[in-house]
Amino acid sequence: MTTTLDKPPATAQRTSEEDIVRAAKRKDRATRWGWRLAGYVFFLGIWELASGRVMDERLLPGPSTVFETFARLWSTGDVPGAFGTTLARIAVGFTIAFFVGIGIGVLMQNRFLNGFFRDAVTIGVTTPGLIWALITAIIFGNRYAGPILAIVLTTFALISVNVSEGIKSLPKDLIDMAKSFDVGVIRRNRHIVLPHLAPFIFTGVRFGFSIAWKVTVLTEVFAASKGIGFEMRTATQLFRLDEFLTWILAFYVLALFLDKVVLETIERRFFAWRGELKS
Amino acid sequence: MSSMTLSPRRVWRWASHSSLLGRLLFPVVCLLIWLVSIKAVTTIWPFAVDVLPTPWQVVEFMWDEITCHTLAPHNMYVTFGISLQRLAIGMAIAMVIGIVIGLAMGLSKAVDAFFNDWVVAILAMPNLAWALFCSLAFGFGDTGPIITVVLTGVPFVIMNVREGVRNTPTDLFDMARAFGVPRRRVIRQVLIPSLLPFLFAAARYAFALGWKGLVVAEVFGGQDGAGWTIKFWYDAHRAYGVIGYALLFVIFALVFEKFMFDQLSKRLFKWRPSLDAVEVVEEQFDAPTKASVGAAAGASTATGAALGSITMVTSGRPQSVDDELKPPED
Amino acid sequence: MADITIDHLHKEFGLGADKVVALEDVNLSIGGHAFVSVVGPSGCGKSTLLNILSGIDVPTSGRVSITQDGRPARAGYVFQAARLLPWRSVMDNMLFVQKDRNEATRKRCQHYLEMVQLGDKGSKYPGELSGGMQQRVGIARAFSTEPDVLFMDEPFSHLDAITARTLRKELHTIWAETGKTVVFVTHDVGEAVELSNRILVFAKGGRLADDIDVKLPFPRDVADSDVALMKADVFKTFENLGAMAVT
Repeated sequence: MTTTLDKPPATAQRTSEEDIVRAAKRKDRATRWGWRLAGYVFFLGIWELASGRVMDERLLPGPSTVFETFARLWSTGDVPGAFGTTLARIAVGFTIAFFVGIGIGVLMQNRFLNGFFRDAVTIGVTTPGLIWALITAIIFGNRYAGPILAIVLTTFALISVNVSEGIKSLPKDLIDMAKSFDVGVIRRNRHIVLPHLAPFIFTGVRFGFSIAWKVTVLTEVFAASKGIGFEMRTATQLFRLDEFLTWILAFYVLALFLDKVVLETIERRFFAWRGELKS
Repeated sequence: MSSMTLSPRRVWRWASHSSLLGRLLFPVVCLLIWLVSIKAVTTIWPFAVDVLPTPWQVVEFMWDEITCHTLAPHNMYVTFGISLQRLAIGMAIAMVIGIVIGLAMGLSKAVDAFFNDWVVAILAMPNLAWALFCSLAFGFGDTGPIITVVLTGVPFVIMNVREGVRNTPTDLFDMARAFGVPRRRVIRQVLIPSLLPFLFAAARYAFALGWKGLVVAEVFGGQDGAGWTIKFWYDAHRAYGVIGYALLFVIFALVFEKFMFDQLSKRLFKWRPSLDAVEVVEEQFDAPTKASVGAAAGASTATGAALGSITMVTSGRPQSVDDELKPPED
Repeated sequence: MADITIDHLHKEFGLGADKVVALEDVNLSIGGHAFVSVVGPSGCGKSTLLNILSGIDVPTSGRVSITQDGRPARAGYVFQAARLLPWRSVMDNMLFVQKDRNEATRKRCQHYLEMVQLGDKGSKYPGELSGGMQQRVGIARAFSTEPDVLFMDEPFSHLDAITARTLRKELHTIWAETGKTVVFVTHDVGEAVELSNRILVFAKGGRLADDIDVKLPFPRDVADSDVALMKADVFKTFENLGAMAVT
């Protein structure tokens, strides 16, 4: 085995080398953005084209139709009301799920209670939201309690799991260290326990929220007289696919916005110290 | 136990620390709450008696179904079979599409940039949307549910396969190169086995999320199948039917999933050291992927199955959500 | 018994302000029934040198030639981590790196497994073996291809002292019996003195600082006074070069 190579250019100037590196990085980033944009153009294009040609326009409304429909719906004034109702339900349901979840997560540190709640959490995590939606719909009908209960049942378990993980992994060594320096309970909690638990709780909130909004809409499809899900059901019953798509996409965009923009920003600001491990 | 005396204090101490007792007590408490609520509600609203299911009704219903005395058009076994068939077809399609795209995304940064946002978008879409859309677009029959399964599963397969490509064991490739092992042999004996755990996880995700999407699709757009049957009982205002049938199908799906993937894993991964703490596949996911996958998987309440499957894939022993919630040993 | 010639070997990583010189103008030649140890502090380029010699990496400039009787030499490698395919049995791992896999090859592989006291472990998976056993399989694997030269990169650094000691003895036996050329990278000076008949000392920055012939008779005992003196000498070299930086 023989390898021969010429000597490298004798003294490459520092600055031009750095420039080369920076230029290469810039080009790399530009290529990535270029392809990303191409993807958008491609998929939106296919969607738009498929709408008239491949599938009947009434079956598959294109992006432009969706925009028009949204503008139309907005002008009727129904939109804020529906959004408001659904968001209110999510808020109430999720808040309850949050506290129930934290409560159970804390309680599960006790051996007996751990055994007690264990199956509840397993069931909570593995049962699809649809089941809860149907069951609460049939029992509660159109009453307010139905969707709320479904949200709580679908979401609490995930929060419990996260909180439990957080508590189990509390850095005992740091707490012992604080105790040995006679640091009081309140200060210990503020500086050790809470910062440690915060990311776990936050993860629970983030995932929980993404579940909660989906279940809310699902329950509304079955058992509501207002809200996004209800509007979706009405649209399908009237076979107005454009409206149906518009409602779900609009809410989906909102949910995505809340998750990616709002929650992720909060996460970045408060949890920067965690390094690469995010939600 | 050091002494023989069974003092009340001793018993209490054992009881309050016994995880097993807690576990046994839970269903008892649930039953009590159920019965008490029924009593309470019917006292206030007497007309509610018809709507509220009692535990006996549910059990009786489930037993009827199991013994094929059903009012629904098909018996339980035929129905589950129909649903399972749709799931299998949908999974197969999802795996094929997902593997192709996932490989491409893992190998090429350009392709990754092209597809990434869309995969994330589809990942976060509720399966309800797919189910409704498919039911409207494809009417009754198999196509709607199958396409729903494909749409729910594909993004997870893509993510898993992509991670598999990103996590190839370069040290083993270097070793093979150093020894001059021919390329074909390297692909067959190093590349493919290293991808297998990820493909397995992909299949497991596709299954776990697929059946949940399938049920929703069948509720809205089927004329048979488990989801449609649940809707059947719902329309008939039989709450015990809805609960009972849902219970049957959920239990069936979970048991089937555990059994199938446990068996597969035992054969495929018999080389795994059984008790070692092996790196979890999920830890090899980078943060954004993990967030997307986690969020969406959780969103379909498959976190338990997903987490369990991931650890199963890598640690060689089945792990359920239970393991995570074990109280600290001290 | 291979001939290794290294001519003005130079290796750099990175560009501009981040540039790191891993190997600086290395010139040396190795031949015959040699057991050559490469020692030095971390960051002195030992592993880079080995990577280049094994073809995993390429030089920035300079020439490397590894030949056996005029033709390109065949090389075997033992890595710090055993690098066994976890999903294949021990015997399959041995066969993975062979040129052909017929009955004769199988017998040969079995013979080398027995040389490292693992003759009965052929059907086991790496996950069922201890770290030391896995490393032995790695050694057997490298020798079983009957290469002209063997490259070893700190093969015992991840093992406990007792296992390492046993393996060193085994390695020495195999080397003495098979008469191969071995290039052995290590940070453990004692190990180098115990095993080799030539020690190359590298300094931080990739410079070949010293070339020491070790003429003590084999087998060597670490407790032997001559060995200890040799060890002290090598350490002195380090000090003189200021090569022992506190990392």
